[in-house]
Amino acid sequence: MMRKLWIVFRKEVVDNLRDRRTLLTVLVFGPLFGPLLYLGLMNVIINKQLADMDQPLKLPVQGARYAPNLVDYLKQHNTDIQPAPANPEQAVKDGSADVVLVIPKDYATAFIAGKPAVVQLVMDQSKDSAQKNINRTRDLLQGYSQEIAALRLLARGVDPSAGAPLAIETVDISTPQSRAVLILGFVPYFFLFAAIIGAFYLAIDVTAGERERGSLEPLLTTSVARSTLICGKLAAVTLFSAVSLGLDVVALAWSQGLIPATKLNIVVDFGWHTALAAFLLTVPFCLLIAALLTVVASFTRSYKEAQTWLSFIFILPMIPVFSLIMFPAEPSLWMMWVPALSQDVLVTTVIKGAALNYAFVAVSVITTLTLGLLLAWLAAWLYSREKVLG
Amino acid sequence: MITVHNISKHFGTVQALQSVDFTAADGRITGLLGPNGAGKSTTLRIISTVLKPDSGSVLVDHSDVLTDSLGARMQLGVLPHASGLYPRLTAIENIRYYGELNGLEGADLSSRIDELVTLLEMQEFAKRPAKGFSQGQRIKVALARVLVHRPRNVVLDEPTNGLDVMATRALRAIIRRIRDAGHCVLFSSHVMQEIAALCDDIIIIAHGRIMARGTPDEIRQQTGENDLEEAFVKVVGEAGVTP
Repeated sequence: MMRKLWIVFRKEVVDNLRDRRTLLTVLVFGPLFGPLLYLGLMNVIINKQLADMDQPLKLPVQGARYAPNLVDYLKQHNTDIQPAPANPEQAVKDGSADVVLVIPKDYATAFIAGKPAVVQLVMDQSKDSAQKNINRTRDLLQGYSQEIAALRLLARGVDPSAGAPLAIETVDISTPQSRAVLILGFVPYFFLFAAIIGAFYLAIDVTAGERERGSLEPLLTTSVARSTLICGKLAAVTLFSAVSLGLDVVALAWSQGLIPATKLNIVVDFGWHTALAAFLLTVPFCLLIAALLTVVASFTRSYKEAQTWLSFIFILPMIPVFSLIMFPAEPSLWMMWVPALSQDVLVTTVIKGAALNYAFVAVSVITTLTLGLLLAWLAAWLYSREKVLG
Repeated sequence: MITVHNISKHFGTVQALQSVDFTAADGRITGLLGPNGAGKSTTLRIISTVLKPDSGSVLVDHSDVLTDSLGARMQLGVLPHASGLYPRLTAIENIRYYGELNGLEGADLSSRIDELVTLLEMQEFAKRPAKGFSQGQRIKVALARVLVHRPRNVVLDEPTNGLDVMATRALRAIIRRIRDAGHCVLFSSHVMQEIAALCDDIIIIAHGRIMARGTPDEIRQQTGENDLEEAFVKVVGEAGVTP
């Protein structure tokens, strides 16, 4: 029986290795989709981050001539002073400027008199993308204000530090990190995706495809038990799924090297150890998805019909993954009972560098494998019926 | 030897077979003749263990298809009506797969495949993927697949379908050789001439029942018709349900 199983397995592997579409999906599209998307997003974020830091702040200023010193100060602090639009409020409203600095005519009078000189910042507080420039402008004005204050205190013989009871230092780590975490949330889905797509065409080919070609009936007349046939087929589907997953994990680990991590201190740690752990945690899912796809494809009449139905299965693991992104929760035991969710949670834990709860791992592996075996048994039962010939 | 004992089978409300009972002997070609939808394929599918009868039993040599389906299949080579090949595998790989599934391996399998390639004159395309094969080439590979494990009993469901004259003649020659080697050949067709040209025993089936059986001569005698085709029409017509 083991020998027959091996024969069926080997034939399905060899046969499907010759199918260019299957090969492309398993070896190229499945494994590279995630890492490429990941690399792309990471690069966009990093470049944007770096660009924002280095680039001069573009600031339209109205009435620049009333406050030459202030304008000089801004220029010295990496600001590109631009002529103000005729109507600042309109410009902010239609998005042509993030923030406009308006210096009124009586600025100089107030300044010289030592009274607070009013300057206006025209901005839209509700516009997220403008926040960075608004804050930078505000910080600069604040800085200038403090510098003048210090000078004035000095002129009156007072220690300037008396006027600054607090020294606030901001260490901003939020934005890049939080974005990285968002992308990180997708990484386990990339793995699940690779596992599904690796199994996809094979599951159809060995079931609906075999029936459509008319090669199923002669196959059933050989002296091999039907359960052996289906197990061999399932093993081949699982292997392709696992290969796709393995390549995906390797590609992701490798692509880490392509991200200019040193330029920024966000880093998702995805080294080879993490990669191995992620693979081992996700690989039980391969059996489950192979069996699920095979069972669903066994119900369909043709290759085309199978493709349609099986496409829906891509959505299934998205449900837990996206819910977890939207409603972040700490790993808990009940999650381990849900395949896809449990892999998602565990892989996320590993990527974050947190310690794994081995009881959780055991529950996840056992639940997923048990469900996979149940579905495999269901597939074997489906093949034992007369209706299997369609 | 294939012994069919009183099998019945229904699909939904349709009674496909009713008390079908016959024997296909070793060293003889037994033809199952009947119009389309008569129950030929259903009978052959029950023999090849793909379907199960509602009642009755089938023995292939000494193996009961119900209680020892694996043993029965071991003694059987079956060419079903739909006999698809694996298009990405070569002719030889297609044959080898079935040989291995039926328990052959190593040098024995390789020499058997060589034998069949020569017997069925497949040298020209033996190492090509099956994708672009003509109908004749496909049938040859499918037939080699049936014969690879030297089954004692060969079941062929309308094997000449879609073959041209030359290919049909070649196939007949092969079937005779299998018989002459002492095997039991059971073969179905809806074409009278096909059966007349080849069979030692004829079983005429219509509407799921056996209408007549015997050697061609016996059937002519039974019906009082000299022409086998007339005999066939008479027998099938007697069922009284022919539209």
